[in-house]
Amino acid sequence: MKNHPALLIVLLAGLITPQLANCATAEKQDKSPAPTAHRHVTSDGKSVKSSQDDLAEYNDVATIADPLEPLNRFTFWVNHQLYRYVLKPVSKTYDTVLPKPVRTGVYNVFDNLEFPIRFVNDTLQLKFKRAGLETEKFLVNSVAGVGGIMRVSDRIPSLNDVPSADTGQTFAKWGIDQGIYIVLPAIGPRSLRDTVGLVGDYALYPVTWITFGAFGGLSGASTFAVSSPDTARTLHGKMSTYDTLTRDTLDRYLAVRTAYIQNRKKRNAQ
Amino acid sequence: MNFRTLLLLPFLLTLAPSQATASTEVAVTRLKAAVNEVVAVAKQSPNASVLAKNVRPILLKIISFETMTRRAVGPGWREFTPDQQKEATRLFTTLIIRTYTGKFTPGEFPDILFKAALSPAPGRVEVPTTILYHGSHYEVIYRQDEADSWRITDVIIEGVSMIANYRTQFDAQFKEGGATAVIKALNQSVNSPK
Repeated sequence: MKNHPALLIVLLAGLITPQLANCATAEKQDKSPAPTAHRHVTSDGKSVKSSQDDLAEYNDVATIADPLEPLNRFTFWVNHQLYRYVLKPVSKTYDTVLPKPVRTGVYNVFDNLEFPIRFVNDTLQLKFKRAGLETEKFLVNSVAGVGGIMRVSDRIPSLNDVPSADTGQTFAKWGIDQGIYIVLPAIGPRSLRDTVGLVGDYALYPVTWITFGAFGGLSGASTFAVSSPDTARTLHGKMSTYDTLTRDTLDRYLAVRTAYIQNRKKRNAQ
Repeated sequence: MNFRTLLLLPFLLTLAPSQATASTEVAVTRLKAAVNEVVAVAKQSPNASVLAKNVRPILLKIISFETMTRRAVGPGWREFTPDQQKEATRLFTTLIIRTYTGKFTPGEFPDILFKAALSPAPGRVEVPTTILYHGSHYEVIYRQDEADSWRITDVIIEGVSMIANYRTQFDAQFKEGGATAVIKALNQSVNSPK
């Protein structure tokens, strides 16, 4: 559920810095030998030494079966319109109305509340040390960070970059195949495995419990008061990621699909 | 193997890794210098368009856009004429620079932590970094190849390879209409209002 906003800028500062949110190409690429030298034509028309047998280097980019592509493309188009005409303005309003420290506080509180998702899935993946770190992080942020408003754990080296676990990852660790690619209305890209995983994540998320009245039921207004800031902060991150991913693409559907599957592969390998 | 070669073997065995380390150091030094240069330019740029203009010569020096374009296109590259290769590279360079400067916010700079560089294969170095930006950590790997004078040939952010991402898109265009379709799509993207 973690979002990765503004990846791009990040890149820039890093050098040519781009960005994103959720997989992995890398195994094969990482082990492939560096290409040998030949000659090729550069942008200024010169013939220079370079590699030609590297043309197949990215042939084995992480892929996913997409038998529903026509339907997925339609859903993607609908989501894109939703993004442009509804979600983006809402997200901008959220940014304008709430000062940055408040937005950060809101983000931190809900991120802290995702602790059960991370803890349970670390445990199910037998990553007990990481589950311990998650527990430590939750306690530090809840107590010293005043209910998670401040992410005090960022100042503790062992806790400031603990990879987050989710149910889709757990299924991957258990050897369940990723299945086909699905673009979910409003939610966006998922593999079939991660779609099922999403149900698990929601089941482990305390905000869902409140929304569904697990504590005796809240009024409609209270439920809205609890869930809307969470939706807004999630939206904020997703908007930024989507914006970055689809900017300057030749085919934004393919760009998002490839990025999603690579990012998930990377996260599953963590 | 004669006796002299046998005596030489331990020396040769120790020499191999040290050469690999030397290569890694060259690549890392170049990368760090480039990052510092880009950050320095970014600090003096009031907006994204000025940044794109100022940073272009630096990026052309430290990134092998020729290799990036060729690998992003893949085997179909052989069917491009030299003029088409030149045009595709020019357009792709513009696209990449615009993409990665487009979200620049003056005054906001992430913290970059360089980790130990890896040499996954002879002639290749990958430098993992962790970038802290707006309270979130991002894993960014810079790939550099000796054949390209240790210039950057790919950037992998949170597992997403920039080249792999474009490769999928170029493949679809190439299957549709060859080099002409790829260049046309690049042109459309470069000339579309942002």
